Amino acid sequence: MNYSASEEEAGLPDKIALERDVAARLKGFDNHRRNLIPILQDIQDHFLYLAPEAILMVAEHIGIGASEVYGVATFYNQFRFHPPGRHPIKVCLGTACHVRGGDIILENFERKLGISDGETTTDREFSIERVACVGCCALAPVAVVDENIQGHMAPSKVEGIVLGYKIERDRIDRERENEPGEPA
Amino acid sequence: MENITLFINGKGVSCPTGSSLLEAAELNGIKIPRLCYHPELKPLGGCRLCLVEDEKTGKILASCVMPASPNMSILTDTPRINRHRRNIVRLMMAEHPESCIVCNKGNRCQLRQIAAQLGLGQTGLYHMPNYKPIEQANPFIIRDLTKCVLCGKCIRADHELVQTGAIDYNFRGFKSRPLTLHDLPLEQSNCTFCGTCVSICPTGALAPKNLTHAGTPERESDSVCGFCGVGCSLTLGVIGKQIVETNPSHLPETLNGATLCVRGHFAHDFLNAEQRLTQPLMRAEDKLAPVSWNEAVNHVASRLLEIKKTFGPQSIGFLGSSKCTNEENYLFQKIARTVLETNNVDNGGYLSGRSCLDLIDSRTGGGWRVSPLSNLEKAESIVVIGADPGNSAPVVGYYIRRTAKKGIPMIVVDPRRTDLVPFSTVWLRILPERDLQLINCLAALLWKRFGHDTGFIDRFTENFTKYSEGLSSFNHQRLCVEAGVDMISLERVVELLKGKKIAFVIGHGILQQRNAARAADAILNLMLMTGSLGTDTGGLYLLARENNQAGALDMGSAPDLLPGRENLGDSRQRQRFERAWEVRLSPDQGLNAIRMITEAEKGTLKALYIMGENPLRSLPQPERVLKALQNLEFLVVQDILKTETSTVAHVVLPGASFSEKAGSYTNMEGRIQCVEPVVSPPLEARPDWMILDMVSEKMGRFTRYDSLEKIRAEIVRHIPEYQGLSNGKKTFWINNTSKKGLFQPDGQGEPISFFPVAFAEDRPHDDNYPFTAILGSTRFHLGSGTRTSHSKRIGNFGKNGHVEISPSDGLELNLVNGDRIRIQSRHGSIERELILEKGLAQGLVLAPIGFEENDAMKLLPLTPFEDRTSRGLKTCQVRIDKIQ
Repeated sequence: MNYSASEEEAGLPDKIALERDVAARLKGFDNHRRNLIPILQDIQDHFLYLAPEAILMVAEHIGIGASEVYGVATFYNQFRFHPPGRHPIKVCLGTACHVRGGDIILENFERKLGISDGETTTDREFSIERVACVGCCALAPVAVVDENIQGHMAPSKVEGIVLGYKIERDRIDRERENEPGEPA
Repeated sequence: MENITLFINGKGVSCPTGSSLLEAAELNGIKIPRLCYHPELKPLGGCRLCLVEDEKTGKILASCVMPASPNMSILTDTPRINRHRRNIVRLMMAEHPESCIVCNKGNRCQLRQIAAQLGLGQTGLYHMPNYKPIEQANPFIIRDLTKCVLCGKCIRADHELVQTGAIDYNFRGFKSRPLTLHDLPLEQSNCTFCGTCVSICPTGALAPKNLTHAGTPERESDSVCGFCGVGCSLTLGVIGKQIVETNPSHLPETLNGATLCVRGHFAHDFLNAEQRLTQPLMRAEDKLAPVSWNEAVNHVASRLLEIKKTFGPQSIGFLGSSKCTNEENYLFQKIARTVLETNNVDNGGYLSGRSCLDLIDSRTGGGWRVSPLSNLEKAESIVVIGADPGNSAPVVGYYIRRTAKKGIPMIVVDPRRTDLVPFSTVWLRILPERDLQLINCLAALLWKRFGHDTGFIDRFTENFTKYSEGLSSFNHQRLCVEAGVDMISLERVVELLKGKKIAFVIGHGILQQRNAARAADAILNLMLMTGSLGTDTGGLYLLARENNQAGALDMGSAPDLLPGRENLGDSRQRQRFERAWEVRLSPDQGLNAIRMITEAEKGTLKALYIMGENPLRSLPQPERVLKALQNLEFLVVQDILKTETSTVAHVVLPGASFSEKAGSYTNMEGRIQCVEPVVSPPLEARPDWMILDMVSEKMGRFTRYDSLEKIRAEIVRHIPEYQGLSNGKKTFWINNTSKKGLFQPDGQGEPISFFPVAFAEDRPHDDNYPFTAILGSTRFHLGSGTRTSHSKRIGNFGKNGHVEISPSDGLELNLVNGDRIRIQSRHGSIERELILEKGLAQGLVLAPIGFEENDAMKLLPLTPFEDRTSRGLKTCQVRIDKIQ
């Protein structure tokens, strides 16, 4: 499976539009340092992640280095630097899942999708996130894909889940092609 | 400041109020181990190795952040503290990779030193290094963050000293590391490769990428950087006869402290370049062949005397160097003036604003010249005009950024978005070379808003009324439009500057421009009006391009100046030197650097002696320069590197670089710094003063000096500003000899006169060449780049002198990043790759100098500054075409 779709295909929001939106949101805050985290939270609430352009703009607004903004943002788990995928995958690494090899499941997802924890595939289909406990330790190791809890995870199940989505996507694509009058 | 007394290890000691316990201990010779403390950085208290015990309360304190208080009694070396220290170091060692044997920090690693002091070999802990890939794609810095101990010195040096903001702590806990934005490699971040973090890193996490060697240098010696006019203090690391490493020196009260720039840190590779000249060469049958010193010197002496006899003294020129020492420059001009009896002597500094300097010197009597950069941090306000210190003199840039960060108003006047703009309070984006209009407008507005210093004007100046009448006559709106600045920003600047002393930082944007002298006049008037000259909280800072630009002029290495910058036309001064040198001196000024070339072109100049200059690379229209040089009967080039010019010479004499000879240099602040040789010159090369000494002896006019001390004694005798040279000090300031009251301690003396306001002449616009090209310097090359282009690491960095235009011009001309374009002026053309740069205004082109044999000079005409048709060396009108 090839996930190296180009950015245009993935339909990333237009950079200029993003910059305009961020600039509009920054207007609501003065340039005091104490506003750094509220600004970042506001941007993440709106855009679901902190885009590189947004980080540069925040740095300029507050008058500190962009690396400093990045340093603050990476300190907190709540900030993400990649847009979430259409199908977020959460791999549990709580105590029970850890004991039952949750890290192997995480690694399997990472390898299968070619991204690491906290990242999103370039076609924006999947993103991987590690979480502490999802509350069903009896099913360990657990992963949550979309909103579905997948218990007793195993490497073969990782293959199966990703393949399932691929088949689903291909089906939709085929149907769309068959519909007459629709632009390609 | 008051002192307080306390007890350290039972001994009564004293320290100034406000010192930390660590500083108090250091002051009294008691060593406390530490990793995160650095005297120039704010204390962090992070590493916890500097723990001490309060004897009274039994509390354990981090001495670097604990202020000393009276009658405190602390212990620095108890079993309890040592147990803590050992545990901390053990944990650090457990996280540290076992790569000491290949680590190029070697024995200088502070973690290793402290572990050794505490007697730690094995930690007895589970070894758990936090591996990060080694990053060494860039040619300057190797980052191996596995070795990082998180002392934060690199981050704090970046944020507090250099103010670049390239790195910060990322993530937290075990994952925490000093990283760039998005953890990108350094070359993709905004890192300037100043290397300050490399020198300050206690372990091998940040190391210089040495091309020839890894590990600890055999010995280290102090020197002074040979690049720009700032003159940073260096420590050169030597192995065998090679300089392998450069760091900021550890001497007290240096101007650069712990900082350096990319040139100072990484560009000294040219010292070991293959292109170094190592033996005298003489032209025989169209080829330069090695000869003995005796032969070469005999030939030079006899040919020069012969040409003097046949064609007269005015047929010989001496082009010296603002990179050579004061002693060499003195000797150089003395040979020209006494042995060959010509005033045709100049130095490469001519290209960097002679007209400006002359004007400022004559108006202030030279009193402005002592302007310590440390005063810049005390300034009440700063105006940076026509200067991009971030590239041309980075250490000055650090000073300005630090001051601006404290909230001092800092105004940047520049058509380009320089890297000071983000730090500025207001950026006045003027049109190129409209500085004069802007300053006039600013002065007029300040006068209108009562922003002048009446007390100062009455006390130290004269002719203010006439000047102020001129100011009242200005039409602000029109000047604003001419300068291309909006009135609102300008009004804001006036509000900011009103009632404050102003420190002016002036760069080549003023010094090399067409209106240079008039702009300098206007700036001086403005400084006098606001009382900014001669004070610690204001002041004038002229960026000098080369390390001894000021000294070369002081030594009289100029066609119109005698040593001590005395005017050649002044008969009293001339007689003084005639008596001392026992010669007749002609009162007529000689040829300057550019006129030497044009005269050679005409055939009136027959012989040229060039020391440490590369006119084929540094002067405009190189093809004309080449023809002129080939037209000469005799060309001697004395240099350290095989240059474009040395290849066309008749005799080549190998000189020594700043690290291979003794001498003194005068920097832009007026600080004179003496250096001693760190290594010997390669093979047969010799210090330049020795070569000059040999040549002059052979010509038989005066006896050999044989020692630097004798030359210095003569300099001290003739130049009162250089009295300090006699007392054996390493660093001292030039003596103030100005008769102006402003520069006298008691304020008694001559007043400084205001000059009437000057107006700018505008040049007609040429529709064939719609763009204005600005020739700007980059931090990777100095001036024409003769030396820096021979520095391997600078070459390996892969900067190839991209030109920049604004994105909107790019859109109009259908150009995108990476396109190859031809830039054509009336005089020549160059081809470069293109970058669209947001910070640039429409209609501007930035062409960096120093790249590709400095071919940007092809765009300019070879016209002396004093010529009425001169357009300066900063801008020219060009056309842009895409190369298909």
